[in-house]
Amino acid sequence: MSPEVLAAANATGLWVISIIIVFIVLLQSVLYAKLSFKVAGQINYPISKCREALKAGMITAIGPSIAVFIVMVGMMAVVGTPITWLRLSIIGAAPTELTAATVGAQAAGVEFGSPQYDMHALSVSFWTMAINGTGWLVLVALFTHKLEDIRQKLGGGNAKWLGFLSLAAALGCFGYLNINTIVGALRNMPKNPSAVGAIYATVSGMAAMGAVTKLTQTRPWLKEYSLGIAMLIGMLVAAAFA
Amino acid sequence: MNASSPEFKKLWKEPVVRLGVITVLVPTALCFLPCAYLYIVHGVAPTFDEALKAWGMIATIFGAFYIVEPISYYPILGLTGTYISFLAGNISNVRIPSAAVAQDVAGTETGTLEAEIVATLGVAGSVVTNLFFVSLAAVAGAYILSLLPPSVQNAFKNYTVPAIFGAVFCQFGMKAPILILFAAAIPFLMLYVAPLYGLTFLSAAWLVIVASVFGTIAIARILFKMGKLG
Repeated sequence: MSPEVLAAANATGLWVISIIIVFIVLLQSVLYAKLSFKVAGQINYPISKCREALKAGMITAIGPSIAVFIVMVGMMAVVGTPITWLRLSIIGAAPTELTAATVGAQAAGVEFGSPQYDMHALSVSFWTMAINGTGWLVLVALFTHKLEDIRQKLGGGNAKWLGFLSLAAALGCFGYLNINTIVGALRNMPKNPSAVGAIYATVSGMAAMGAVTKLTQTRPWLKEYSLGIAMLIGMLVAAAFA
Repeated sequence: MNASSPEFKKLWKEPVVRLGVITVLVPTALCFLPCAYLYIVHGVAPTFDEALKAWGMIATIFGAFYIVEPISYYPILGLTGTYISFLAGNISNVRIPSAAVAQDVAGTETGTLEAEIVATLGVAGSVVTNLFFVSLAAVAGAYILSLLPPSVQNAFKNYTVPAIFGAVFCQFGMKAPILILFAAAIPFLMLYVAPLYGLTFLSAAWLVIVASVFGTIAIARILFKMGKLG
């Protein structure tokens, strides 16, 4: 990318816009947390449990956030810092956003990141990232309350079944994510033997979580760290053997 | 409190939906400000044709996910979880794990208002942590990264996400081990076996997500009716 384009992509004006949007993302969570505490008080649910839940969420997010941090620095170099900060604070992980930026360049008829990638192409990249995020956000804003109605219908008023329905959805979703990782690694291994690391990470993360969960039965304080510990073990095993 | 009661609606659903619609739509509109900025300050903007073309191209790649992901993640995230997670992103690697751990720590029963509250707090807490790290990256990312040896960077970059996916699968799986087999078999058949027989269209990611989530729900329903669950 030319110095002119990179300077424009890092301009103060874009920082101001990004600060506003990141602030709203934070504000949304703060408002929902306040509402949660308020409603918990109204139904006599212990506030101490609420605090524990908030803390558990904060701790669990540390590990994966470090991964996001590292990927983000790479993206900053290619589309500028403020827009990366903005895009990675909302829907769309780095690969999605970089795909959108690349598609924008293609629509403008140039190669992303090449010397021909000019201010005009940058504007098409920005547009494509924004319109892509809109796809998810508008549908979620307009139809989420309907999804609750559908869930209630599928649940048929049976709280126990509703619990299993959520559990089955979670298992289906993570079954897909894990198999996708493993199949992807198997396909890459002939070219790149170290791709097996992803399989080691998956399997040892799984095993470690099983072991940590056993430990939490006698040490309940460990629960909020369980996923973080399992993730670290999975990562270490993969790094050591791949 | 049961999530289908009228009090649930008044106490929780109504304020949550009101807040969700506003806090999702406002930033969605604001996300176009960088485009407006480039136009006002530098006089550059996509032509109408380019805008339409780029939109068409990107929707071809991700359009199916706009619909499939909210529907498939909804039973896991719940009402508030969906509004927060789709605005803040990083759903499978950050939001769902955080909600799951929060519910484990608090020991709530799924499908109750208590569980909704606890999951909301877990997800909200994860947003605070996540925003801290991305903001730190924006301010001092390159410098901090230069302090980390490449081996550590690679370990985080390549292995944290698979390790979390494995751990979360185990965490949920322990609550209904019988479902593990089906939840893994459906995507395995579609992603690995189907292409061996030339059925590559079955490997489209959005299709595999829908089939894995709703296939596992359907099997859970059958097992539940047979009394094999819980």
